[in-house]
Amino acid sequence: MASFLMDGGVAVAKMFNAIVSADTLQATLDSVSVLVDECKIHLNDEGLEIRAVDPANVGMVDLTLEAAAFESYETDGGLIGVNLSRLEDIAGMADAGQLVHLELDEETRKLHIAIDGLEYTLALIDPDSIRQEPDLPDLDLAAHVVIEGKDIDRSVTAADMVSDHIALGVDATDELFYVDAEGDTDDVHLELDREDLIDLTPGDAHSLFSLDYLQNMNKAIPKDAEVRMELGDEFPVKMHFDFAEGQGSVTYMLAPRIQSE
Amino acid sequence: MGNADLRSLASLEDVPFEELSDSVVAVDAHNWLYRYLTTTVRFTSDEKYTTSDGTEVANLIGVVQGLPKFFEHDLTPVFVFDGGVTELKDDEVEQRREAREAREEKLEAARERGDSEAVARLDSQTQRLTDTILTTTREVLARLDVPVVDAPAEGEAQAAHMARQNAVDYVGTEDYDALLLGAPLTLRQLTSSGDPELMDFQATLDHHGITWEQLVDAAILMGTDFNPGIDGVGPKTAIKLVREHGDLWGALDARDAHVEHGDRIRELFLDPAVTDDYDLDLAVNPDLDAARQYVTGEWEVDEGEVARAFERIEASVVQTGLDDWA
Repeated sequence: MASFLMDGGVAVAKMFNAIVSADTLQATLDSVSVLVDECKIHLNDEGLEIRAVDPANVGMVDLTLEAAAFESYETDGGLIGVNLSRLEDIAGMADAGQLVHLELDEETRKLHIAIDGLEYTLALIDPDSIRQEPDLPDLDLAAHVVIEGKDIDRSVTAADMVSDHIALGVDATDELFYVDAEGDTDDVHLELDREDLIDLTPGDAHSLFSLDYLQNMNKAIPKDAEVRMELGDEFPVKMHFDFAEGQGSVTYMLAPRIQSE
Repeated sequence: MGNADLRSLASLEDVPFEELSDSVVAVDAHNWLYRYLTTTVRFTSDEKYTTSDGTEVANLIGVVQGLPKFFEHDLTPVFVFDGGVTELKDDEVEQRREAREAREEKLEAARERGDSEAVARLDSQTQRLTDTILTTTREVLARLDVPVVDAPAEGEAQAAHMARQNAVDYVGTEDYDALLLGAPLTLRQLTSSGDPELMDFQATLDHHGITWEQLVDAAILMGTDFNPGIDGVGPKTAIKLVREHGDLWGALDARDAHVEHGDRIRELFLDPAVTDDYDLDLAVNPDLDAARQYVTGEWEVDEGEVARAFERIEASVVQTGLDDWA
């Protein structure tokens, strides 16, 4: 789906009426709420898009969910601003398979949410009051790794036992992806070669990241997802995965820490 | 510390930290340190910064707590330390020493009568920059990779010189003398909680329609660290006198007054001892573990007092932002 974020001067949405499964809605909200409390949702015929960066400008998310991922989807396009944790709480009231009905009330600027007889009216936020969306940095990252979500989870969980930061790298010569975490006393090292990975495009890469951020992103990455990771030498990392049976996609970007010699 | 009456002559405006990002400020180290030292001592109990052998290093808490403000706003500090004491200032140093002794006596008396409020107030006033304080400050700055410059004489004069050479963007000091030293842009209140105050040299001259020399002459008439002022001459009169009579000498003739070493005092502001022999490595790459170990290990500072500040330094310096790649 083409990005429509950069059109500029987007008006506040007037009409939005959609039905979506609770799983898809929860996955969407969780992917964004690990970085920010509030976000703007861009609506158009093709679906919705959310782009947000955390207040410290360290982690970014770019999410799209196609109209086809909804049971029904109607909008005349535009923007709405939401408080993510509130919306997450409401979505959490639904069982996995249940449907959530979302309908915008243009007059009151509220979102009516209905889940199997439960009705909730959520006050929306003025999109202008929400932090401006970031530009996507244009990065040329040498190493590409396609890895299972569960391997990211293993790496992050193990690293967290010894340190608050983690190095991700690719050894182009030995053709392997590695993870390093050095603590005050203990260290963690993990290597995954071509066999262990879904795919690998070798290139020399080594960058250090804050585990706080990576752990939060990890929470939103499904264990069975194929995650395409792009890495460089002291560069941000990009992690891309699909959800909602390929009709939703998330790209995370995380700025590195400076490596002290 | 400069004549506070200069404030009424200075062009000042508040400037939010956001507008200062990506710039470099040469900080008058002694002035900055003194402020943090007095606030630390006033608000922190002394066991938090006293080593087991009784050495007080409140400065280490002050330095660590003071630095995040720069880093979080992408403002790179360069700390400029004083060299020798300017000869003419000996009188002032002597006066300060006497004042300090008087305060120490009052402090002792307050302790005896158990007046804890007076003790806290006087305690902070009797703080001075001891050799230990200066050495340990330099050591922690070195571990945090914060650039340091040694002035041949006054740190403030050196900082102003570096700003005039465009080696740095601002001078950071509370002292209004930065204006007399020709510092183009001076940031005040870097140690306070609100927005800094920007003091603009050229705007000050333009506002009064005078030259740098005339500003210095007016200040000498009002009184500086190096001379008492002429009786009855405040800021307005001083400006009027230099405008009407051209310079210090004309003004003194008109008032039938005399300033001892007038020409030498002028030189201290217009042509102070400064050096071009300094090396600025502005890429700050701190060794936080070493700095933590130095402060809480070697100098036994209470960890709770500095943990949050170290975290803030770490987050702001070690972590890059995505906008660095935009």
